Amino acid sequence: MSKKLSPEEIVKYFKDEFKTKIKSTQIRKKVAGLKKKESYSIWMKIDKSIFKPFIKRLCDLQFPHLAVTSGNDLGKTIELIYHFTLGYGTRFGEIVLNVSVELPKSKPEIETICDYIPGALVTEREKQEMLGVKIIGIPDTRRLFLPDDFPKGVYPWRRDETGPEKMYKNLHEVKK
Amino acid sequence: MAKGLTKSFKKALWVYHCNSGSCNGCDIEIIAALCPRYDVERFGIKLVGSPRHADVLLVTGPVTRQMADKVKRVYEQMPDPKAVICVGNCGNTGDVFYESYNLVGPINEILPVDVHVIGCPPRPEAIINAVAKAWVKLETLEAKK
Amino acid sequence: MKQKTTAKTSYHIPIGPIHPALKEPVYFEFEIDGERIVNVDVKLGHVHRGIEWASRKRNPVQILYLAERICGICSYSHPAAFALAVEDMADIEVPERAEYLRVIQAELERICSHILWAGVAAHEIGFDSVLYLTWEIREKTLDLTEYLTGNRVTKAIMMIGGVRRDITKDMIPKITKTLKYLKDNFEKLRRIFLDDKTVKMRSQNVGILTKEDALKLCAVGPTTRASGVKKDVRVDTGYFAYGDLDIDYMTPDVLTGGVNGDVYDRIIVRLLEVKQSIELIEQCLDKMPSGDITAEPKIAKLLAQLKKVNGEGVGRYEAPRGEDIHYVKLDGNDAPFTWKVRAPTYNNILPWIPMLKGEQIADIPIVAASTDPCISCTNRVAIVNNENRYELDKEELHRLSIEKTRRLMK
Repeated sequence: MSKKLSPEEIVKYFKDEFKTKIKSTQIRKKVAGLKKKESYSIWMKIDKSIFKPFIKRLCDLQFPHLAVTSGNDLGKTIELIYHFTLGYGTRFGEIVLNVSVELPKSKPEIETICDYIPGALVTEREKQEMLGVKIIGIPDTRRLFLPDDFPKGVYPWRRDETGPEKMYKNLHEVKK
Repeated sequence: MAKGLTKSFKKALWVYHCNSGSCNGCDIEIIAALCPRYDVERFGIKLVGSPRHADVLLVTGPVTRQMADKVKRVYEQMPDPKAVICVGNCGNTGDVFYESYNLVGPINEILPVDVHVIGCPPRPEAIINAVAKAWVKLETLEAKK
Repeated sequence: MKQKTTAKTSYHIPIGPIHPALKEPVYFEFEIDGERIVNVDVKLGHVHRGIEWASRKRNPVQILYLAERICGICSYSHPAAFALAVEDMADIEVPERAEYLRVIQAELERICSHILWAGVAAHEIGFDSVLYLTWEIREKTLDLTEYLTGNRVTKAIMMIGGVRRDITKDMIPKITKTLKYLKDNFEKLRRIFLDDKTVKMRSQNVGILTKEDALKLCAVGPTTRASGVKKDVRVDTGYFAYGDLDIDYMTPDVLTGGVNGDVYDRIIVRLLEVKQSIELIEQCLDKMPSGDITAEPKIAKLLAQLKKVNGEGVGRYEAPRGEDIHYVKLDGNDAPFTWKVRAPTYNNILPWIPMLKGEQIADIPIVAASTDPCISCTNRVAIVNNENRYELDKEELHRLSIEKTRRLMK
């Protein structure tokens, strides 16, 4: 990318293609230091149906840096948030793009983005084991952090009955 | 060095270190104890690479589910007489990790611990003091024979 | 037609502050053909303590102390990224003096961490005396850290909205004295690592990570800068007071003019960053404004303020190993709804695969150590359960590495 993109231009780039499927956008500005240099971040909520085309359009703009994906258990849905950054390489040019997708708990599935961004493998494997999300097409489905003898069906980040409460241990307990 | 060390131990004290899931803070201080500032090698204390050559076992970290087995196996591989030192608050009481779904108990539920060193992380001087105390224990064990 | 026989062997490779007895399990599984590695499978899994889950019962200030103990070497990075995330979400304005103080502590930690790594790398090549020399230099820096914060390793100096301790005028002579000591010894370090023939032979053209691979696999930190990719959160976004300071991306062509992406380049990048950190601390001491050191000194008021806020925040920080990112979501309770930590080594694991293919077994320790992995940050544990394996333990592997050095020195 040769010229610096502004956050409004990036939002417009996606809204042009996907129009109403983008549910909401928010641009935040932060200043720091004596000279008050600004840095921007964009928060977007998108519909699950345009997820893969959205990622493709993002890669066409500039190859993004996928920092990590985080997840929330919101009761009836599971929300996955992909944290990308664009514009690295020029001073003060980086813009953080946070894309949030909601999946229903009855069918928590989403496509993989490993074919566009091979570096996403590690974070997608983590979502599979921690939240119980099924990533379609992932090249490697093994567990990442949890030991192999951890019971199946227990998802440590969930807040419902599949949470890790049954594996809980208090190290301070003094047994008589 | 320590009270009770009446005569020198017949051979130098060899130490094996095992990390059962710690944050590395205690591990850095253990290595710092070997560096020229604290320099335990002048007392004959050496870090070895295999538990079969060691007299003292230094364990750090709250024991995660995966490492519980390994720590036990390391302890069984060590020849008698041996001593176990638990370094750092995590192994002693759990410290900040006192509630978790992946940790199995403080170390003294898995191994018999002889010396507890508290601190997060403990200073290298405290670790050297602990090794000296373990030395005294091993000496008394040797004298009993 | 001759059939290539590949034997599946798995190695337990301890990585971390390395020393003969240190065992931090990261399990690799290699397919080797003779002496060369044909295929690599990285099986992770290690120090999973359930930290993110533990945060559901703690308020944000307690989480700062929990975050410090994710990793002892980067014990400033995680609280810093968490504080940035909470400040992003709650719109807390940090006073300028606090930003400068934060930069000084951050760069001090970066110096300690890179020097630690330099000693470890030297030990892997076989120069134990260099390990002791570099760690002695590190001890002086740790003395300064203890003078400024009170402890060597877990410093507890970060607070949401500022820092906890100030640097007063009578502390400055000690800082300048230590910086002078570091500058005098920097030339010595540079000569040992960059001009020595054996180090060059062991590290040049070994463990190459190409620029395309580094981009595709989203590598971070000195690992990716050594391959020519310009990613550095301090320069890209200018958090804390980096926007006012004179700082640039540190890639190997600053020194040598070309980029190879091998282990030698990573050594160059880290040593240059030590020099850069010393200069940044000096700039900060010159330009530091006066003022408060924290936005809200009373913790109870701060917690009450955070309880009223609903929202999400992302904080990104450049740890010595790379980009550290935290995501926080607060919903009006004492404890956050979600806290996600992604330590830098997380993204640097996949690059191990292209780096190790085609290398010799004796090079495994130096290549793996060159990415400066901090496994306790990564919270990984994986145990390989395969049949047909023989175990080369740490001593064997280390011995092979030293033997190769002796062979090359002849």
